Formats: sequence, structure tokens, C-alpha cells
Amino acid sequence: MPTDHVELALLNDAVVVVDNLSVAFPSRSGSGEVIRSISFSVKAGQRVGLVGESGSGKSLTARAIMQLIPAPGKISAGEIHVGDDLTLATVASAKKWRGTSVAMITQDPLSSLNPLVRIGVQICEMLRHHRNASRADARRRAVELLNAVGIPNPKRTMRQFPSVLSGGMRQRVALAIAISCNPRLLIADEPTTALDVTIQAQVLDLLEKMSQEHNSAVLLISHDLGVVANFCEEILVMYSGKIVESGPTQDILDGPLHPYTRALLTSVPSMTEELPARLSSIAGSPPAGGVDVVGCAFAPRCSLAQAICSEINPELRQLDDPFHDVACHAASDALWPSVRSQ
Amino acid sequence: MFGASRSIKAVDNVSFTLQPGETLGIAGESGSGKSSVARALVQLTRPTGGTVSLGGAPVTNLKGQRLKRFRRRMQMVYQDPYDSLDPRMSVSDAIGEALSVRGLPKTEHAAQVAQLLERVKLPATIAQRHPNQLSGGQRQRVSIARALAVNPEIIICDEAVAALDVSIRAQVLNLLKDIQHDTGVGYLFISHDLSTLRFMADHVAIMYVGRIVEYGTSEEVFSNPQHPYTRALIAAVPSVTRRGERRLKLSGEPPDPGNPPSGCPFHPRCPEAVETCRTERPELLTIGDAQKVACHVVQWGREKTPKTEVTA
Repeated sequence: MPTDHVELALLNDAVVVVDNLSVAFPSRSGSGEVIRSISFSVKAGQRVGLVGESGSGKSLTARAIMQLIPAPGKISAGEIHVGDDLTLATVASAKKWRGTSVAMITQDPLSSLNPLVRIGVQICEMLRHHRNASRADARRRAVELLNAVGIPNPKRTMRQFPSVLSGGMRQRVALAIAISCNPRLLIADEPTTALDVTIQAQVLDLLEKMSQEHNSAVLLISHDLGVVANFCEEILVMYSGKIVESGPTQDILDGPLHPYTRALLTSVPSMTEELPARLSSIAGSPPAGGVDVVGCAFAPRCSLAQAICSEINPELRQLDDPFHDVACHAASDALWPSVRSQ
Repeated sequence: MFGASRSIKAVDNVSFTLQPGETLGIAGESGSGKSSVARALVQLTRPTGGTVSLGGAPVTNLKGQRLKRFRRRMQMVYQDPYDSLDPRMSVSDAIGEALSVRGLPKTEHAAQVAQLLERVKLPATIAQRHPNQLSGGQRQRVSIARALAVNPEIIICDEAVAALDVSIRAQVLNLLKDIQHDTGVGYLFISHDLSTLRFMADHVAIMYVGRIVEYGTSEEVFSNPQHPYTRALIAAVPSVTRRGERRLKLSGEPPDPGNPPSGCPFHPRCPEAVETCRTERPELLTIGDAQKVACHVVQWGREKTPKTEVTA
């Protein structure tokens, strides 16, 4: 099965294919699954957003693709294929494609930059190792890259240590390093969460520009729907380790089908429309990761839930619009009027 | 590394009033001084100038018993729900501590704790738990219950919902509004998140490098922002409903508060800056009968200000 899937994805120009992926941590009771059988792909040059709250498994998905799942977790089912040739991603194969074909930037750039090594040395090391560049070429290229990401004085920054830079500048450096080998896929895991909003806008703009110039696809992971809405062409909504809705950004934001997606959208106060006296919120909180769930994980908090929701987990499938999938019994049942008519 | 010590003006000439039962929102980015304002108000740091008055009576530089009494009138809820509760104390102990400060005898604690937990919509069973057994949202509710325990006049919320998931944030904001409606407590709501402020605040102060640059009602500031920084801040908020709009992006970074630019500290990044902005600090002045703005160009009137570029 996976081989067919991969061949199909090759025809569609995918740069990553996640196939029935499950990630589990050892648990005394139950499976300990934190990601529970998710499948998706990202095409060359595409910008896809992965949205969810704490415990959704979104950051772990990024790490799974990079083969950087923190111990003692591991992939318990499914496969990931990466790069133009869709190589099977394993800890062993990662040495060949991590940082080159697939690169990642995270919320805290200090964790991907060595605090004890000057920035110039880190970029040059990267370029010399992966592209066999000479010392002079690497230096020249490093300055070009820092310029391209808007660092005001690249030569000075090359001599600096990461800790003297502001959050926004560090993120630019991290992006320069990530983009330096023209990755087919750039994973950005909450890249702007720790940044001021005006700096966030700059960094997202830069991410868009860089990804276009280098023809890199971007998988943007965020809890912030506004960020994802403005950056991504496609959105995947995750809840408790599963993808509960997926589709083109326009369709999901204009016509969300899953009760969780709707609740997320209405719980953020608008900057322009008239404000309600109370924000609509979802009662309760998401289930703890790693605890086995029977039926739909969102059912305990869902105002539309019925008996079947606590018994059978709804499949992610297409309803009316092509490419717009949802995993919800209510959404897919014509006799369940309260969702469809809203 | 071992240079002479210098003082940094974290908060510079900031004035505002908070009416009972109302919320004043303070917005700003890193280096704006908004958290320093909060700390100075509750006297965690001593203000170096100016006064703070509560109910018309000055409360700055209090000591001893008077400081203790003052602290009961103004409470604070912090951003990090994992930091602000003592991990060794159960929920009822933490709230009980505040009740003791209020002077309530221990025999009456249990009943009050139960009442406060109900007020913040937590189940009574939570009383025996310790912070590590609670979620972020639950911890924030406990912090709010503890703040309420002394019947304060004002609660300062310093990024109180920033670390919470969006769906939990909405719950806590609703709760804060309900409490204000029921008790008449005033809030000083500090947040970098403008959409939260728009929902919570009656008045808003926008801060930049230690000074208020715009101050008015929530309606005035959000629907008709005047200061170029306020406009840029609002434009930078990625909105779901206004997605895809081409917006003017602010370049550069906020300055080092220890070494701010001359004149108006915003001038290096300001798309509307003119020569005077480099040399003279603008005062915070009322524009028409609306909000106060600290900006030369706005004060002269945008149409009346000569542009520095030469048009062909």
C-alpha cells in the first residue's frame, strides 16, 4: 500500500508524504499514542498550515518528519517519505536529507543555533559540509544569505554570537541557515510565537519571500489561525493527535465543517467586527496526550455530540467540496441538521 | 562587561486614571515598559518619580503596615501559570494564605475557598490538588481566585492569558468580564495582543519605549488610530477576516530602551517622520475631542505637514 501511495504522490509532485503515521510514547496502560494515524502530503512550492492547540500533536508531527522525536517516543505505525525522490525517512537516511532537502526552524532559534559558536562559523560549516563549498565561497555565500534575510550588517553579524541578537534577528539567521541548501521542504514550527507582532509580520513576509525564491514548500505549524490564514494555501486542523479537518484555506475559513474548527474561529476576538459581550468558548480542555480515546476525542466538549460520537471514531473524508475533508459524524450526516444548516 | 552602572528609563512620565469597574488596557511590544508600569504600581519596584493614587489618596512610597494594607487593594495575576503558584501548597492553602492576609480566621477559610472556587468556575474538588496536577487554564483561575480573596479594588492582569490556548483564553476572558460585572473590580490589563485588548478594555494606552504614545477609549484607538505606531501595530495583527490584504509593514526593530533615539523614539521606523521628529520629543496631547496622541505630525494635522520628499 505505501508504495502505491508514494508513486501516486510522485506524480503529484509531493515533497513529503505522511502515511498513516502514529507516534507513541511508552505507557503503562494503553497504546501511549500521541499522534494517531495521520496522513497528508505537501506539494513542491506549496504552503500548508498545521493548526492546533496544546496536545494536538502538531509539533511532534514536525519532529517525526525530521526524525527528531524526543526519546522515549517513536514512530509506532505508518511511514514518512521525503524529498524529490520521496526517500523513506528513517533516523539513518536523515543524515542525507536533514538540513538539506528538509530543513526546520523552530520557536526558539537559540535551540537550533549553537550559543558558543559565532554565527558566521555556523553558516559556513553548514555550507562547506553540505555543498562542499570552499572556505572563501562559503563566506561569500553566507554574507549573501544574511543580506537576503535582511540582516543590516552581515559581516558584523557573522562575527557575533547568537545570544547578542534580538529574537527577530536570530530567527532571520535561523532562516538563512535553513534556506541555505535550497530545501524542498521547510518546516516552520511556531516560528513567530515568541516575537513581537510587528517583528512577526516581518519574519512571515521574509519566510514567504525566501520560500518563493528558493522554491521551497513550507509546512507552517501554529496555534494562531490568523498567521496560518494569511500565509497558507491549505490548512490541516489537528485535535488530540488526529487531523479533524483539511482543505484549502479559503474553504476552511469561510465554511468550517468541524465543530472544533468553528469554535476556534469564533473564540478569537475580531479587530474589526462588532464584539460580542462574551466570546464563544469551548467548555473543558483537550484530553491529555497518550491516553487512549474511544470514539471522537472532541465529543466530551462538543455541543453536537450524540451517542455514536463516543463509540466510533469518525473517518477523515471528503463531503461535498473536493479537497475539503472533515472527520465528524455530524458533518457527514444529512439527517444531523444542526451542523449543515448553520 | 564591567562598565559604570547606568539607569534605564523603563517608564517615562506615564499618567493614566482607572475608573471603578472599568478596564484600562496597556499595549506595547518588547521594551515598551508596560510590565514595568505594573510592577511599579504594586510597588514591586520603587517608582523613581511621580505618584500613584488610589481613590484620590497617594499610595506611592508606602512602607510597613500602610504598604501591607495598600497591597490588599491592588492584586496581580501573572502570565506564567506554571510559575506564580507555590508548587508545595495545595490550592486551598494558596487561597487560604490570601484570606489570612485579609484577616479572616482559619475556621472560616474552607467556606470562603469553596465560594471563590465557584466564582472562578472550578469544581470544589480542586481545593486539595497541587499546581502540578492542574492545567494552565486551571492554574490561572486559581491565581484569579487568590487575587479575589482579598477583595481588591484593582486587579492587574499582566499578560494573564498569553500562555493559554486560544479556546481556554476565551473562557478566562469571559470569566474576568463576569467577575468585573459582579464585583465592580477594576482591571489594568497588560497585553501585547490587540484583539484581546479590544475585547477587554474600555480605555487603551499604547506604549513605546517607556512612554504612552496614544491614549483613548477602545473605540477611538482601534477604529480610528492616529499615531503611526498604533496604526502599524494594528496593521501587523494577522487577521482571519482581512486575510490577503496588502498591509504596510513596519521595518526595523524597537530601540534599546537604554539608548533611545533622539527626539521621538519612533522616528527611525516611522513612515511619516519629518525633520522635527528627529530633534524634538512630542508631548501627549488631546486631538480634537478624541484621544491623546504624542506625535508632531498628528498634532499639526496630517494634511498640513510638509512632506520631506520632493515631488516632480
